[in-house]
Amino acid sequence: MRKGAYLGNFDLMLLLALLRLGEDAYGVTIAQELEEQTGREVVVASVYATLERLQERGLVTSSLGDSTPERGGRAKRYFHITTAGIREVRDARRSLMNLWKGLPELKGEKA
Amino acid sequence: MTSKQPPRIATWMLKHFGSGPNNDAILGDLAEQYLQKDSAMWYWRQAMKAIPVSFFKEIRGHKRIAARALLTGWVMWILGGISIFPLVFFGTNVGFDFEPRHPIGTAWSFMWMPVLGPASFHRPFSFVFAVALPLIVGAMCGWLVARWQICAQRHPPAIRISQVHRDQQTGVVLLFAGSILLMDLLLFGPFILTVGPLVANLFFGPLAANVAASVLGILLGGGLLRDNSRTVSN
Repeated sequence: MRKGAYLGNFDLMLLLALLRLGEDAYGVTIAQELEEQTGREVVVASVYATLERLQERGLVTSSLGDSTPERGGRAKRYFHITTAGIREVRDARRSLMNLWKGLPELKGEKA
Repeated sequence: MTSKQPPRIATWMLKHFGSGPNNDAILGDLAEQYLQKDSAMWYWRQAMKAIPVSFFKEIRGHKRIAARALLTGWVMWILGGISIFPLVFFGTNVGFDFEPRHPIGTAWSFMWMPVLGPASFHRPFSFVFAVALPLIVGAMCGWLVARWQICAQRHPPAIRISQVHRDQQTGVVLLFAGSILLMDLLLFGPFILTVGPLVANLFFGPLAANVAASVLGILLGGGLLRDNSRTVSN
């Protein structure tokens, strides 16, 4: 059995967004991706706070990118998922699939 | 390129009160997204949420540094108060009442000495004391909290002074200013109960000015109102 903290819902969504975005994952694109996929407004500062925490756990790395005039000359911070991060996502998926299996219908939808 | 600028006040607030190493990146992201969304309401919402989110993230992530900042700030506040206030009121009967059986009364007589002490002075003078003294002590304490921390060392046992990292300065200064504000608010209830609402009402203006000056002093001394853009560390 694996030890360590579970990934939260938002943690998992962020890691999946990083996987989907690849090399172009920074604050704006991550927030847009989450808003498109979930239909909810995302607080950009929460994205950074969570990614910083995931970075401390070694699941994500970050690097500074270029600055553009429309950003007021401020640099972008790009985020990349690590091998440990990918492993965590895979484990979370497996656990969720196991829990999902055999569930009865949820409010008229197939589980 | 467009000249559309995000709301200035919201940007100013986030720039000065946003904590952590990613504040510049957040400001950049919001500016970039503002061009697409074109909604001042959206920008304000994002900026006002970013301040508490980044503050609590910093404090939760650096609990020991936060505790040391509170210790340093309060030690300096008390030292500043007992050294500067009596000096200013030297030769008068103004002072604070140390009453061990009434710690709350002792606390407010100390915290609000610049207001309660010179209450018998002419009104403009009492207001000057109520504002100037906490502003000076607050600025001193804010300056120290943003730069240095008192910490205890176990091996060998010693008290030493360590430097505060630049990325953590905003968070610790806000935390200390918040603790002073909270203490003032907590003391106000027992003060009204003890002196009665009529007397408390007389002091309300100078007390509010005193509290505002304390917080402003801390923010000024802590460098939070200075216009220096912080760079992002890699």
